[in-house]
Amino acid sequence: MMHDHVIDRSKDITILEVLDRVLNKGVILTGDIVISVADIDLVYVGVKLMLSSVETMEQIRSGNPIVEK
Amino acid sequence: MIYSILSSGERTEKLNSLLVGMKGIAGADINIVFFENISAIVCDINRIKLVADQSNAIAYAGVIETLAHHFTLLPVRFGSVMESDAAIIHMLKKNYNDIQQNLLKVENKYEFGLKIFCEPEKLKAELTAKSDANAKTSTSPATEINNSVYRDWVNKKLKEHRFEELLVTYVDSVISKIKGDLDQLKAINKFKKIVTTSMIIDAVFLLDKERKDLLVETVGELQNQHAGLTFVLTGPWPPYNFVDFTVK
Amino acid sequence: MSENKILFNTGSFDGISEEIGKLTSNTEESKLKLTPDNADSGLAKLVLTLVELIRKLVEKQAMRRVDGGSLTDTEIERLGETLMKLELKMEELKKHFNLTDRDLNLNLGPLGDLM
Repeated sequence: MMHDHVIDRSKDITILEVLDRVLNKGVILTGDIVISVADIDLVYVGVKLMLSSVETMEQIRSGNPIVEK
Repeated sequence: MIYSILSSGERTEKLNSLLVGMKGIAGADINIVFFENISAIVCDINRIKLVADQSNAIAYAGVIETLAHHFTLLPVRFGSVMESDAAIIHMLKKNYNDIQQNLLKVENKYEFGLKIFCEPEKLKAELTAKSDANAKTSTSPATEINNSVYRDWVNKKLKEHRFEELLVTYVDSVISKIKGDLDQLKAINKFKKIVTTSMIIDAVFLLDKERKDLLVETVGELQNQHAGLTFVLTGPWPPYNFVDFTVK
Repeated sequence: MSENKILFNTGSFDGISEEIGKLTSNTEESKLKLTPDNADSGLAKLVLTLVELIRKLVEKQAMRRVDGGSLTDTEIERLGETLMKLELKMEELKKHFNLTDRDLNLNLGPLGDLM
């Protein structure tokens, strides 16, 4: 049983690592502007053109699925 | 939506055949937008119903992962959308030099993530014990003002401050050790300190694919030398954390 | 992705996935979106975030001075009084606007790095 517990956790961790990379890292093309002070993100300005992708990202982060045409 | 930018060079046929068998998010076809020797891997999100949930983000990562096995690439953040192929070509053209530089940097390399956790209470106890042993004299200089609530407050804050300094010093020393041990791996390192109360180090490394086993071995040794901490190494990953340019 | 990406993990720490989960859940909260509807509380959040940042930096610097031993008792007393009142005031404001330290994204990272 201990073995199973460790394996389940492994899957969780892998998924979380994937999400952190895919949602927070990589090349940023959308022109989001995040104004930070001393490395602390304070203000986020979403470029209108990319509004749908921004909403998409944020819906995913908050865990609420949306359907978008 | 763009999945990644990759170095396709002469291997366009291979890229084509690879993509034919793959499906993107919501079963969409994956296409290529070429510009000289690089390409953007995209899919059209206009004609599909995009359900934004975690499984799609994961599927997206899966596409990038598969491509990364065969091509040098730069992962693009999920949800990156551009209005047309022409716009994409324009972007590739405008950022060509930066893209090339980054592709060169990540060629034949993998990214690995190392997260190090402590047990906050235990570590706190250890560090404060050590500092009490080297205690300065007179942490609260004798004062004429007795039982001052303000003095008490300062003492409380002072204690917290000293602990923070100890923690940072400790974390810096662990990072130094890691850097030293990883020197032989010729990796590019990035460290984040004290991300949560228990995650004291969040590091990523970019190194040659062949050095993976050596990395695992080195981390294993580091774990042995730091019994009170928990080391979690993940990878190999496409170079999400090493794309160092801002798109113009 | 079915592939397990963990290369090394002694598995001795139970809360690992919870801690890693904080990396993705935090980013949503730290992004401030101003709309006509939430302008008031949106602005409050922005202002308070900046004020809290400065306050914490000032407090940190003050503690460094106190620790350094270069201040007189009276000076320390006065510092303590001002900073403590400032801290209490900020607590009040945060309560009033219903904001937690987490909302202000200030509970992570050692501020020492900033100086």
